[in-house]
Amino acid sequence: METKSSSRSDVSEVLSDKEEYKFGFVTDIEADVFPKGLNEDVIRALSAKKKEPKFMLDFRLKAYKKWLTMKEPDWQYCKYPKIDYQDISYYAAPKPKKKLESLDEVDPELLETFEKLGISLDEQKRISNVAVDAVFDSVSVATTHKKKLMEQGIIFCSFSEALLEYPELIEEYLGTVVPIGDNYFAALNSAVFTDGSFVYIPPDTISPMELSTYFRINTEETGQFERTLIICSENSHVSYLEGCTAPQFDTNQLHAAVVELITLENAEIKYSTVQNWYSGDRETGAGGVYNFVTKRGKCVGNGSKISWTQVEAGSAITWKYPSCILQGDNTVGEFYSVALTNGLMQADTGTKMIHLGNNTRSSIISKGISADQSNNSYRGLVKVGKNAKNARNYTQCDSMLVGDKCGANTFPYIETANSSVQLEHEASTSKISEEQLFYLEQRGISRENAITLVINGFCKEVFKQLPMEFSVEAQKLLTLKLENSVG
Amino acid sequence: MSSLTAETGLTPEAELLESHKKFMEDKSSSNFSSLNKIGAQQFEKLGYPNSKHEMFTFVNTKSVATGFVSAKGSEVNKGQIAEFVYSGCERSLVVLVDGQYRENLSDLSDLDNGVKLVSGEEALADSKIREYLESSVQDENDTFAAINAAFCQDGLFLDIPAKVVMQSTIQILAISSGANGENESSYPRVLVRVGDLAEAKIIVRYAGLKGNYFVNSVQDFLIGNGAGLGLVQVETDQKEARNFSKTRLILNRDSRFSGANVSYGSALTRCHLEARLKATGSEFRFNSVGVLEKKEQVHHYMRVYHEAAQCSSDMHFKNIVNDQSRSSVDGTVIVEQDAQLTNSDQLINNLLLSDEAHADSKPNLIINADDVKCTHGNTVGQIDEEQLFYLKARGLSEAIAKTLLTKSFAASIVETIEFPSVRKNVEETLLKKLEANDG
Repeated sequence: METKSSSRSDVSEVLSDKEEYKFGFVTDIEADVFPKGLNEDVIRALSAKKKEPKFMLDFRLKAYKKWLTMKEPDWQYCKYPKIDYQDISYYAAPKPKKKLESLDEVDPELLETFEKLGISLDEQKRISNVAVDAVFDSVSVATTHKKKLMEQGIIFCSFSEALLEYPELIEEYLGTVVPIGDNYFAALNSAVFTDGSFVYIPPDTISPMELSTYFRINTEETGQFERTLIICSENSHVSYLEGCTAPQFDTNQLHAAVVELITLENAEIKYSTVQNWYSGDRETGAGGVYNFVTKRGKCVGNGSKISWTQVEAGSAITWKYPSCILQGDNTVGEFYSVALTNGLMQADTGTKMIHLGNNTRSSIISKGISADQSNNSYRGLVKVGKNAKNARNYTQCDSMLVGDKCGANTFPYIETANSSVQLEHEASTSKISEEQLFYLEQRGISRENAITLVINGFCKEVFKQLPMEFSVEAQKLLTLKLENSVG
Repeated sequence: MSSLTAETGLTPEAELLESHKKFMEDKSSSNFSSLNKIGAQQFEKLGYPNSKHEMFTFVNTKSVATGFVSAKGSEVNKGQIAEFVYSGCERSLVVLVDGQYRENLSDLSDLDNGVKLVSGEEALADSKIREYLESSVQDENDTFAAINAAFCQDGLFLDIPAKVVMQSTIQILAISSGANGENESSYPRVLVRVGDLAEAKIIVRYAGLKGNYFVNSVQDFLIGNGAGLGLVQVETDQKEARNFSKTRLILNRDSRFSGANVSYGSALTRCHLEARLKATGSEFRFNSVGVLEKKEQVHHYMRVYHEAAQCSSDMHFKNIVNDQSRSSVDGTVIVEQDAQLTNSDQLINNLLLSDEAHADSKPNLIINADDVKCTHGNTVGQIDEEQLFYLKARGLSEAIAKTLLTKSFAASIVETIEFPSVRKNVEETLLKKLEANDG
């Protein structure tokens, strides 16, 4: 297989005159990039390069064949130019150097990049009790705290590593929540995913720390196809954090990740996301990331719980529905979301709660804020199966509009086929309250700060679900994002 | 992909276009011919829907795919329709049989001064009306409304001139005779113009004499500046019948619409209502109640367009579903960018009484203006155990207590119906149906 190194000479020029985006920098590391295009050979080469077991290659090829028969969906409330899937390079990795023994051996440039993003891989992080598995350009470079987790039997590693070391776990669970043909982008991901995170929590274990991964798109014009699989065994608990920022580029970048969560009896997974990919040029919308993600959790065991919390503040297009399949009895699904759009951003996001077991409960709190000319849609499905006795759902989705050219939509789907269900849904859309702003301004708070205050209050219910560090980050992010939108 | 129909082996599209060709050949040229042609063209554009179409997610369109045989319009006498006439409307009654206006069955002696009723054929001679109808068909988004345009041969045009405040209530009675056997369709078409500052009260009632007919109707209501319209649509079809209707409302400046829909339950009922709030100050109110049992289905598809500032809309649906029945409400409020100061509410309450019943809802909001207040809500639930306990503790039997609670669930909508005779009839029928449930 032929590979080439991408040229980075012009990138710094492109970036020099764009300083609005704080994290818009590019690390100059020779990338190992496949030529653009997708066919069976590319998939075979990808699989061979990663030394994958045979079942993985079969899985990929099956997904690829399925993908070829599928049509790109068009029902979402977003508009974007057609994606040329042959114009994407499906593998990019920092060239494998010799195996790293300690952090000192990690490329200093890489470390600097993480520093700018606020992730430090050094010992201080250990004291702050967060294990960071930094995914840089789809390939994990360093994992800290592994030992400490290993002592409890917790596996937290990159997906490729897991494929080599725990293939039987992956073979058993991969694709059980999001089948390869689930949707267009999930099929594509199943065929070409490069790396991601793998977490396994053994029975009766409470993870001693919050597991965190920072994703970063780095090589220009490289689609990111992450795959995350989290398995939480009986009576265990884990909280997982995911955060992303992306450097500034002019060609749209496709990000089609798949996240699968599985909880066995009485297990609990809490999955939190703060997403701040580059959202494109404020005026023209050029260059933003397409965030087409399939996230789904399955509460397999009785009494288990999956909780999604997301703060979506970036990407040109966000299109994702973190979902819960409540299969076991007495299972609980939760979804807390704040989606902020400004500039020309588009978001079509929400959740699906599929009630199958008895006494299943789900709650959905969704807050959408749209500013400038952006479009923000909530789309959610609550489906109660015939045998889901005493299912209970509460949904609240509120939208706030800032500016008269933005749009806010809600598309809830509620399907019930069972007489013991109790279901409530409420939604409201309104402008930011002039009275509240007046009250604050009267007390000497500037208009901009007043708006930030009101919006943070509007999102409070969701923010308080986030782990502390994320909560602070999320509030800062909203303030930063709204800076130029209101005035 | 369309499925083939069992009898002919053709796709529904092909079958329909084939029978349209025959229809056009058989009939003599009339004012309706060009409308028929546009309707067929629009149908070709839209295609025959299946459940993958967002508009028909919950509706099984296969069951009406064979019903393109136009009803011939058989003889019906006054005695046969007497039971469908509301008291007080006997002398302001307009009767359509299988989509065709029947002068001999209608009675217009009580109509207010100036209120004019003409047949569709005559009305189409007026270029203004013709233009409106043709352009509405060209922009049609509902396949079945396009099919109506393709096949309708007659209709009704009701003109309420400016400043006329009607004392009488007009009842439009659409009778399906079901005389010519299975699967016949009728295509009633009604156009009502309420002039500036006029006030009108209209009841539209669907009823059938026998059989599993398919009635596919389209109604247009043009409400002038400052005018008001009170409308009740009542579907009292035969149990095997299928009833699809499209109601289009155009609301002008400061106009008011207050509507109600009552479904008595039939094999398949689908109401598509499209309201356009064109100018400032217009007001739209809509309530709907359905009581379903056995395999009955009622589907509502609502689209309310706020196109101007300072308009308000309010919708409230209540469905009681029992046995294997199904109800769905797909309501969307669209607020255009200029429609500032919009106020909009939407509430859907479902009372689910059986494990085999379905209640689906899609209360959507599409908002492109910022200074608005829009809400929607949806609930699905059962009879409250505590309320039931309260009543039983006071000596009521379970059956009576349940009847009382289900009836009171529907009562809040029934009470809003402006016409006493309709209300009375609804109360009596609902009462019967809910009591039977408790057996």
